[in-house]
Amino acid sequence: MGHTLVRPLRFTLQASLKYELNISSLTPDNLKGKSKKQIAAMKLKLGRSTVTVASLFSISGSDSQKIVFSNCENKLIRIGENMTQGSIEISGNAGDYLGQNMKGGYIEVKGNCENFAGAGMTGGKIEVHGDTGDFLGAATVGNITGMNEGTIIVHGNAGSRIGDRMRRGMIVVFGNSGEYCASNMLAGTIIILGKTGAYLGFNMKRGTLVLGKKPIHLMATFRDCGLLKIEFLRLLFKQLALSCEQFKVFSDFGPEALRFAGDTSTDGMGEILILKNARNRR
Amino acid sequence: MEINGVKIDNTFAEAFPMKATRLIITAMTLKWAYRAANSLTGFASSVIACGCEADIERELSPDETPDGRPGIAVIIFAMSKSALQDQLTKRVGQSVMTTATSACFSGSHSDKMIPLGRSLRYFGDGYQISKKIDGIRYWRIPVMHGEFVCEETTGIVPAIGGGNFMVLAKTSRHGLTACEKAVAAIRKVHGAVTTFPGGIVGSGSKIGSKYKFMPASTNEVFCPTLKGQVDTELDDETGSVLEIVIDGLNEEAINKAMHDGIHAVCKFGRKKGIYRISAGNYGGKLGPHHFKLWDILS
Repeated sequence: MGHTLVRPLRFTLQASLKYELNISSLTPDNLKGKSKKQIAAMKLKLGRSTVTVASLFSISGSDSQKIVFSNCENKLIRIGENMTQGSIEISGNAGDYLGQNMKGGYIEVKGNCENFAGAGMTGGKIEVHGDTGDFLGAATVGNITGMNEGTIIVHGNAGSRIGDRMRRGMIVVFGNSGEYCASNMLAGTIIILGKTGAYLGFNMKRGTLVLGKKPIHLMATFRDCGLLKIEFLRLLFKQLALSCEQFKVFSDFGPEALRFAGDTSTDGMGEILILKNARNRR
Repeated sequence: MEINGVKIDNTFAEAFPMKATRLIITAMTLKWAYRAANSLTGFASSVIACGCEADIERELSPDETPDGRPGIAVIIFAMSKSALQDQLTKRVGQSVMTTATSACFSGSHSDKMIPLGRSLRYFGDGYQISKKIDGIRYWRIPVMHGEFVCEETTGIVPAIGGGNFMVLAKTSRHGLTACEKAVAAIRKVHGAVTTFPGGIVGSGSKIGSKYKFMPASTNEVFCPTLKGQVDTELDDETGSVLEIVIDGLNEEAINKAMHDGIHAVCKFGRKKGIYRISAGNYGGKLGPHHFKLWDILS
């Protein structure tokens, strides 16, 4: 007995875009049960005009729970917005608001993505192999809390305001971060293994920022608690290493860290943990 | 039935339903994990007066624990969810959190959860930090040794208490030597524990008493010193009776524990002063779980 191979539902962008294209409707949730013909006829916003999916993408495959966008560029915005299940793979770059308000599922970007990736997300996982713009896992425009659950992994560098107003969840950046990392943070965990910009933890109320490299600048409103064995880090690193392939690197990490508590200009219950021997890390 | 000259009574151990949870206690070294586990399981031999029954299940290697440190698995049994919750908060708070370098995690996964760190977090007096990793919430409570990390909840599972067998021997020395080997064999069974001191009961009881305020009293029909006074269960040559009581997470665990324990005792044989194996029951009126000796050993 032979098995029918169900191929991922693939959208290949046929031409370079002049304006931003909102493809928030092309999620596993929305496409479930739709025929290829129905999908081809779906309307998308391109700048101020409305176009059909078929006018910009060639469509192949049929598994709507595994969507692949090929030949992508950063004018494709709101990819995976509000999705709750399935997976989206982006071959190329993604635009603003990737996975905004995402509730579940998995988004993988092979290239870079722009601002507000994972903003307001409440579940699921986003993995970006390249760099991201500003406001990663932050609050969506007009909202007072940022990312509220889920995991974001960035293998490259991330811009400014990572985790701004973040409420829960985890962001891991293997590269460098811009300024105001963990600003206004309310809770959750951010790990930055590369260099960090200025104003770390600005107005941070609670939450944990773990640094793999010593920061160039630390605000005076963070108070030095000394070099400590943070038992929680032992648990965190072991569980991360066990959780997925991308986090295996953490199995080498130890619990010793310099702890700075702040931002004392506000609640001051947040913490910046600078890992001991941080310079030796990648 | 006879094994190595040891007579096996055609009777059964009568056991009853309980609620249980397993905890994983870790520390900087195994020695300190043991300190915490021994303290937590101290004075937890019987629900008759201790509020719960608890014992160490086994040692855990760093690979088996959530934080990669050496650890100990303990199982705590109680008659109800509320009793278990009450004992858990008191015992983890006073025995584990107070042990230097310790941490405490759930070792039971269930749909029904009871508070663990959720109750203890207030010790942090506002400085406690909640962290969620891979869907599991933990509490970081700042303490004088550093921080006490504790999982927010632990799973509560149906369990069985009161699996048992009695070893009738020539003297206490003969009985105790054999019972020590039995307890060592039972400790290798996952999901089963022996909560009495050293795993052995020197004063097995029956339900009730001539005194109304006593819920349990001496099991006179198995007391060697009363052989001439009561309708005894003992023959002339038996000089000592020891009981091994086993609590388990399921019937399989208790079956295996009783099987392995009885065989360990019977290895000593009649020539080394072990005469008979029996079991405690109440005519089937107390508990729905009946562990028949002949079935277990056949």
